[in-house]
Amino acid sequence: MSEDADDERIFFQSRKVRWSILAAYWAVILLALPLWWTTTSIQRLSLPTSRVEDLAQNDLRFPVHIVLDSSSGVDTKALSVKLQSLINARLSPDVRAWLDVHVHADPVPRVDAYVVKFDASSQDTKVQGRNLILAGGGSSPSKLANLLIDLLTPRYTAADEQKIAKYSPRYRLAFSLLNENAALGKSAIGWDLNGTLSRYFIPTLQSLQLLHNFTIESQVQFHAPLAFDPTQITHLGDNAHGLTHEDLTVFVNSAEWSLSSSASNDPVLHFVLFIPSISHRPLYLLDSERNPVKSSAFILPQWGGIVVHNFPSDVTSHLHMTSDYLESIFSAFGLQLFSLLGVPELPKGIISLDSTPLSRWQMDSLLRQRSLENVVSTTETLHSIIKLVDQIENMPVKEDVKGDIQNALDSLEMAYKSSDSAKPALEYSARALTLSSRAFFNPGMLALLYFPPEHTYAIYAPLFAPVSLPLIAPVVREFLAWRKAKREKQKVE
Amino acid sequence: MLCVLLAAWAAYANPGVESEHFEEDLVIRPLKDGRIGTRFSFTTTLEDVSPRNPESLDGDDDSQHYTLFPLTLGQILREYAITELHLSLNAGKWNYDTWGMPDEPGVATGGELWAWIADGASTSVDQRWQGLRNALAGLFCASLGAMDEQRTTSPSRTFRPEGSLPDWGHPHHLRHAFLPSEHVCTENLTPFYKLLPCKSFSGIATLLNPHRLFDADWHGMSIHVLWKEGVGIQVRLTFQAVLDPIRNSWNKKRDWSLKSLFGRRIEQSCPISSASQIRVSIPEDQPHLFTPQPSGVDGSYAVFNVSGGEWLFTDVEMRWHNETSFQNRFTDPRTATGKQNSVSALSVQRTLKSVNKYRGSLNVAVTNNRGDDIQTTYLETIPWFVQLFLHTLRIECNGTRRGDLLDDTTYTPPIPHSRPTLYQSTLTVPAGSTVYMTMDVTKAFLRYTEHPPDAQRGWDLPPAVFVPIKAGQKGSDELERIYTPILLVDLATPDFSMPYNVIIMSSTLITFIFGSVFNLLTRKFIVTKVEGNHKTDETGQLESASAGGKD
Repeated sequence: MSEDADDERIFFQSRKVRWSILAAYWAVILLALPLWWTTTSIQRLSLPTSRVEDLAQNDLRFPVHIVLDSSSGVDTKALSVKLQSLINARLSPDVRAWLDVHVHADPVPRVDAYVVKFDASSQDTKVQGRNLILAGGGSSPSKLANLLIDLLTPRYTAADEQKIAKYSPRYRLAFSLLNENAALGKSAIGWDLNGTLSRYFIPTLQSLQLLHNFTIESQVQFHAPLAFDPTQITHLGDNAHGLTHEDLTVFVNSAEWSLSSSASNDPVLHFVLFIPSISHRPLYLLDSERNPVKSSAFILPQWGGIVVHNFPSDVTSHLHMTSDYLESIFSAFGLQLFSLLGVPELPKGIISLDSTPLSRWQMDSLLRQRSLENVVSTTETLHSIIKLVDQIENMPVKEDVKGDIQNALDSLEMAYKSSDSAKPALEYSARALTLSSRAFFNPGMLALLYFPPEHTYAIYAPLFAPVSLPLIAPVVREFLAWRKAKREKQKVE
Repeated sequence: MLCVLLAAWAAYANPGVESEHFEEDLVIRPLKDGRIGTRFSFTTTLEDVSPRNPESLDGDDDSQHYTLFPLTLGQILREYAITELHLSLNAGKWNYDTWGMPDEPGVATGGELWAWIADGASTSVDQRWQGLRNALAGLFCASLGAMDEQRTTSPSRTFRPEGSLPDWGHPHHLRHAFLPSEHVCTENLTPFYKLLPCKSFSGIATLLNPHRLFDADWHGMSIHVLWKEGVGIQVRLTFQAVLDPIRNSWNKKRDWSLKSLFGRRIEQSCPISSASQIRVSIPEDQPHLFTPQPSGVDGSYAVFNVSGGEWLFTDVEMRWHNETSFQNRFTDPRTATGKQNSVSALSVQRTLKSVNKYRGSLNVAVTNNRGDDIQTTYLETIPWFVQLFLHTLRIECNGTRRGDLLDDTTYTPPIPHSRPTLYQSTLTVPAGSTVYMTMDVTKAFLRYTEHPPDAQRGWDLPPAVFVPIKAGQKGSDELERIYTPILLVDLATPDFSMPYNVIIMSSTLITFIFGSVFNLLTRKFIVTKVEGNHKTDETGQLESASAGGKD
C-alpha cells in the first residue's frame, strides 16, 4: 500500500497518466472503427422496396368497350344490360382483375371499341376488323356472351401454354434445311427460301409486327444424323420408319447439328425441315399405338418447330425445292410460329374477313395477354431481386442495378397508365421486363457473392488477435487494481 | 448405285446453288526427309456478295440465307463487319529447311489471328476486333479472347490483304495478334468440321481423322475469309499436317496410301462439291508408282478426281520403285555442307539469351541459301514485358559490322501493361552468307495478378516474321512468310503464397513493436530493495533496482 503510494508520486507512474495512455489508444481504435467499416463494407444501395411491394395491389386493367349495333332493329338496350351481367358473371375472377368489359347500347367515341353487328342475311358468324357480324341476326344472349369472352381472352390449354416462348421484342427465326445424309442421294440440295418466305411467310410476320420484330436467317446442312435409330414399322404393307413420342423429345441432335448461333442475344425460334436419308424413308410420326399419324410436323416447346418431309416417290435425284413445293411446309411453319408466340385461335365456326392472317380480335387479345405476362414476370423478377438482396448480405447493389430497378418500376407504372390502349402498354411492359431482368442478371451483383468469412478471418487474425491481447490485458489489470484499491480504502475507513 | 445417282445429279446441274460454290482439294507432297506433307483445303465461294459496310452496323442487317456458306461464321463476319479474316491454330515447328515453303503460309506456332476491318461505324475498330476475338474464341473453343490489346499490333507491311478491300470512303485497318501458347487439339477440330458443308461425313473431309492428324509431326488448321472484287466472298478452311509414314512402317519404307496415312478411306463423295480432287506432287528424279492411275496431270501434280468420274475410287497409293528402305540423306542444313541442301531460300535462327532474370539479348541469324542477295522485311511483335533496346542493335556479316544492311525501320515502343513492341525493318542478306543481329533486352517485373496460372513455365514470345521481297515485285499479293520458332522467356516469378506471408510477417512485426511500446507505456515500474545485499549496503546508497510488472 505504501509502496503504491510511493510510486504514484513519480509522475509517469501515476495511475492517471497510465489510464490516459490506455484511453488514448482505445480512443484511436474506436475512432478508426467507422473508417475501417466504410472502407471494407460492400456498396449496397437501398432499393425501392416499398414501391416493389406496392406493386401487388397496383394491377394492370384493360378497359374493353363493346358496342351493340342497333341499326338492324335489335333491342340493344335490354341486350346490353343482359350481356354485361352475363359477361361479368362468367369471366373468372382472375381474368376480371385485368379485363374491364363494358357493353354499350349506343356508340362510344373510341377507335378501339368492338362493334357487334346483327346481319340477318348472313349465314356465318364473321369477324372483320373490330367488328363481329352475327349470323342470322343474332343468337341467345348467353351464347353471345360466351363467344365474346372467347374472342376477348385467349383460351390456352396447359399444353399450349407450355409451348409459348417467353416474350421478346425481337426474335431470330432460324430456318434450317437438314438432310440426314445427302451423300446417299435423293436429297434436298437447296431451297428457294427467299421466294417462299416472301410468298408464304412474310405476310404472317407482318401481321405480328405490332408485337415483335424478326430477324431471319437460314442454312442448309447435308449431313445431319439422328442420335438414335428410328423404329422399324410396316405401313400399308411397306417397310417404313417411325418416330415415337419419346424419339421426338430427343430428336434434335445438338452435338451434330450446328444450329446454335453465337452472334446475338435475341431468342431464337428454330424451324427445321428434316429430310430423312433414303435408308430411313419413309419416316412417319407415330401415335401411342405406334401407328403413323397424318401430320409430319411437331413443336418442341419454346424451341421451335420441326417438319419431317418424305419426298414423293417420283423424285429420282437430288432436288432443289421450289417455293411451290415448299408451300405446305411453310404453312405448317406459319402455324407453328403462331403456337410458339401464343396467338389464340378464333373460336370454332367463326370466319375472318380480314386479308391478314391474324384478325384484329386475335391481335388485341394477344397484345393484352403478352402485356399481362410481361407485367406479371416483371413483378416476380423485382420481388426476387429484393428478396435475394435481402437474403445475401455480401451481395453488392450498385448504381446501375438501382437505376434499372427504378426504371423498370417507372415503365411498369407507365404501362398501368397506358393500359387504355394495348400497344403502348405492351411496349412499356416489355421495357420493364427487359430492365428488371437486366438488373437481376447484373454481373456486378455476383462479385463478392461467395466471399467466405474464413478469408476475412485469415487476413485479420494475424494482426488483430496479437494486438488486441496487450490492449485488453492492461484494461483488465487496471480495473482489478482499481477495485482492489477501492476495497482497501473501504477497509481503512 | 452411287455412281448412277451421281451421274443423275450431274445432269441436274444444281440450279439453286449457282451463287454458292464449294470446292475441296487435298495436296500431298512427299518431303525430302521421307515425311509426307498434306494440305486439305475447303473453299466456299459466295458469289456477287460484298462484305458488310460498317456504316450499316447501326441498322438492322439483311437476312442471311446460306446454302453452303457456314452460317455461324457468316453471322460473326456480319455482326462485326469484317472485310478480311485469317485465323490459324498450329502445333509444332515448321521446318522450312527440309520441308520448304508450306502450301498455306500461316504456320506460326500457336494461334494467329489477323483481320482487315474498315472504319466508319459508330463502334471503333478496336471494339469490333475485341468482339471478333471473343466470337471466334466461342466458335472454335480456343482462348482467342486472350489476344487483347497487349498482343494486338498493326504490322501492315508484313500482312497485306490477300483479297481486295472495298472502297467505302473509310480506311481499312489491320489488327494482328499472335497467341503462341495456344495449341490446336480435337476440341478445335470439331467446330472446324461443322463449318464444312459435308462435315466429316463425305468427300475429302472424311480423311480428317483426329487420331492420325494430332499424331502428326506438325499439324495446324486455318480459316481464311476474303473478298475478291468480281468474285465474291471466299471462305477457305485448311488443315495442314506433316505425317511420317516411316515411323509407322515396319520395314522403314516411305510408301503410303490414304488408308495408311489417315486410317480412313473416302467412302462417299460430297454431293454438293463442284470440284473435289486429290493432287499428289510428282517426285522429279525417283521412280514411283501410283495406284490407281491418276485421272490427269496438272503441272508437277498427279490429279485424282474424287467425284464426277466414271468410278469412285476409295484410296490412293504411292509406292517408291526399287526402294527397300528409306535412307534419309538430308543432313542438318545448318552445318556447312548441309547449307546447299536447304529447300528454303532463307534459314532463320532466333534465340533469346539471358544471364539473369533482368537482362538478356535477342539474337537472330539469317542465312541466305541462294546465290543472289535477298531483301526481306523483318517483323518483331514482342509483348511489353520484354523490352528491346534499339540502340544496342548490332548487325554483323562475315565478321564485319554491317549497319547498312538494315533499312527502312519502323518502331512502335511498348507501353507497359498495354501495348506490345512493333518493330519492322527491311534487311538485306548478301548471297550465301549469314547476317547476325543482336539486341539487348530487359525483362519486366510483372504485377502479382499479371502472371498466368502456370507462371513458373515462363512466357511464350511470338515468332518473328520474315517476308522476302522478290525483285521487282514489291507489293505483290502473294507473299511468302517465314515464321521463326517461338521463344520461351523466363520472368522473375514471385512466390504466390506471398500475400499471406506478407500479411502474417508484417502483422507479427507490427504486433511486436506495438506490444513492446504499449507495455513500456502502461507498465508500472517499482523500486525494490534486495534484502540479501545488506552487508554491502553500509554506505546506504547502493541499491539494485529491478523492473518488473506489478499485478
